[in-house]
Amino acid sequence: MSKTAKAKDQVVRLLISAGKAAPTPPVGPALGARGVKSMDFCKEFNARTAHIESGVPTPTLITIRPDRTFSFITKTPPTSYLLKKVAGIDKGPAKPGHEILATISLKHVHEIAKIKATDDHMSHLSLENIARMVVGTARTVGIQVVP
Amino acid sequence: MSLRNCLRKTHLQKTHRAVVNNFFQCRFYAASAKPATPAQKPTVQPKSSCPADTVLPGLNYLKNQPPVLALPDEEYPPWLWTVLLPKELEDDGPGGRKERMERRKENKQRIRERNFMSTQ
Repeated sequence: MSKTAKAKDQVVRLLISAGKAAPTPPVGPALGARGVKSMDFCKEFNARTAHIESGVPTPTLITIRPDRTFSFITKTPPTSYLLKKVAGIDKGPAKPGHEILATISLKHVHEIAKIKATDDHMSHLSLENIARMVVGTARTVGIQVVP
Repeated sequence: MSLRNCLRKTHLQKTHRAVVNNFFQCRFYAASAKPATPAQKPTVQPKSSCPADTVLPGLNYLKNQPPVLALPDEEYPPWLWTVLLPKELEDDGPGGRKERMERRKENKQRIRERNFMSTQ
């Protein structure tokens, strides 16, 4: 969500595979249009995601200041991605909420919630509430949760 | 006149009322006191479909992270087994959180129904 005022920071939200930044389509134009050298960003991004398995989609929030310097935050992989990985499915259902493609146990949900709890924007939520959010996401991805 | 006579209580009714009132004014001693059990939520017996030490694929998304294993049922927090059930809110009384949440839920449901009916 970018703001058009000149004096304000611009915020860009991107989903980038860990360790694999610098492809032109997603990253290049999004940053280049705002005056950031994409190579600089990609080097720094790859360095920061070096500890993550290659290819895992990583949501990043890039803040671009008016003097064209930038800073960014990386977050945990999307819940839907983690759920699909755990359940072993590739794509979600054609009709979200109406199809069941796989089944998962509450133990899986607990482990996923533990990962998501490490995020800053989840720090005020209890693990139980995060687990409930994961269960809600599982419904949209076509995964049934059983005890 | 006759109506008033009908409404006036008969002697039998009055004595019955007196007996009943007296009954409630008598004191009784319980034959045996029931053991005081606090109202408990039905304790959910954890019985997971996922046995312990099952590998949970995909959750070791950091490099050189060992595979994540499922733990035995007892090592998970008790709230986990109620996560699939709707959340039970504590009763706070007239102005409490439960009343507010329920009212919001009803309002949302009403809006949803109204929107649907407007398409019919």
